[in-house]
Amino acid sequence: MLKNDNIKEMITDEETDTLQEIMNIAFGRAASDLAEYVDIFVILSPPLIKVLQAFDVPSYLNNEIKDYDKVSVVEQNFWGKFKGNAFLVFPSGTGKRMISLFNSENKFFESEPTHELEKETFLEIGNILIGACIGKIAELLGDVTTYSPPRVVVENGLRGVVYDNLSDPDNLAIVLKTVFEFNEKNVSGYMFILTKQESFAWLKTALYKFLEQYK
Amino acid sequence: MIKKILIVDDSPISIKIIKSCIPTDKGYELFDASNGQIAVEKYKELKPDLTFMDLTMPVMNGFDSLAEILKFDQRALVIILTADVQIKAVAKAHDLGAFSVVKKPPAKESIATAIKEADNALAQRG
Repeated sequence: MLKNDNIKEMITDEETDTLQEIMNIAFGRAASDLAEYVDIFVILSPPLIKVLQAFDVPSYLNNEIKDYDKVSVVEQNFWGKFKGNAFLVFPSGTGKRMISLFNSENKFFESEPTHELEKETFLEIGNILIGACIGKIAELLGDVTTYSPPRVVVENGLRGVVYDNLSDPDNLAIVLKTVFEFNEKNVSGYMFILTKQESFAWLKTALYKFLEQYK
Repeated sequence: MIKKILIVDDSPISIKIIKSCIPTDKGYELFDASNGQIAVEKYKELKPDLTFMDLTMPVMNGFDSLAEILKFDQRALVIILTADVQIKAVAKAHDLGAFSVVKKPPAKESIATAIKEADNALAQRG
């Protein structure tokens, strides 16, 4: 099992800082894309980067959302040289508040269960935010990514969504976290991006190339 | 004429990138601050001719810092340099009194143009 010192050797402070700035730019672009699609203002926070052993990721994520009994999660996998999983996590009850984003008149057919509408809302938001954010990270680092269809779990726990993706607990994972708020809806959420050890070598080179253009 | 430039960003790498985009042949004196609150203090102390301000920062964000700086100095020239390119964020920055908005990641050309525009505005004020 890898020790903390080994983890620190895997990615330097400058690389971490660069990745954080790239995440900042990428999520800013994602928020802008969402704001063009629906009438909303996304309040952004500085992103945070953590390198963890894959084994520790579930407990880290659970600790991050410990204030919530249940959450709704949108998950999307992405493939390229930059490869991993992205998760949007919303606290319980936010789905109902967000439905009106896509239906401003709040006119629903009685036959449509709220659960399905929540699911579709999360799918739309997830598709835009994850796609734009990962797409921008890939673009800035000179990569092209493809995506799995988004998967939504409404009002559940993280267990089973995140855990399945960490089959090799000795691997390292980079967790990119950003917290955001939808101003008008009083909704906050998290985006986590997990990339596995196999992307590390490429990522280090890509970060170096990104900085090179400014030298 | 612009002499002192204050760069406000919570990311050290971003400050480094912005500094690398600022023309080196003009003899600008460069200063930096890592959040909006420190920016307000440094602004009062240094009275820079131009400030580059990020929006998403801990402690005090760029919107609040911009408002504080303009409360202190109505003539402050503040260019917002941000990843938050939402229409409402850009409009809010302009409403608060930002001189202009430049999106991240910066390019040498966009920074040089922004400085030139600020320089012209300063010259017109006399």
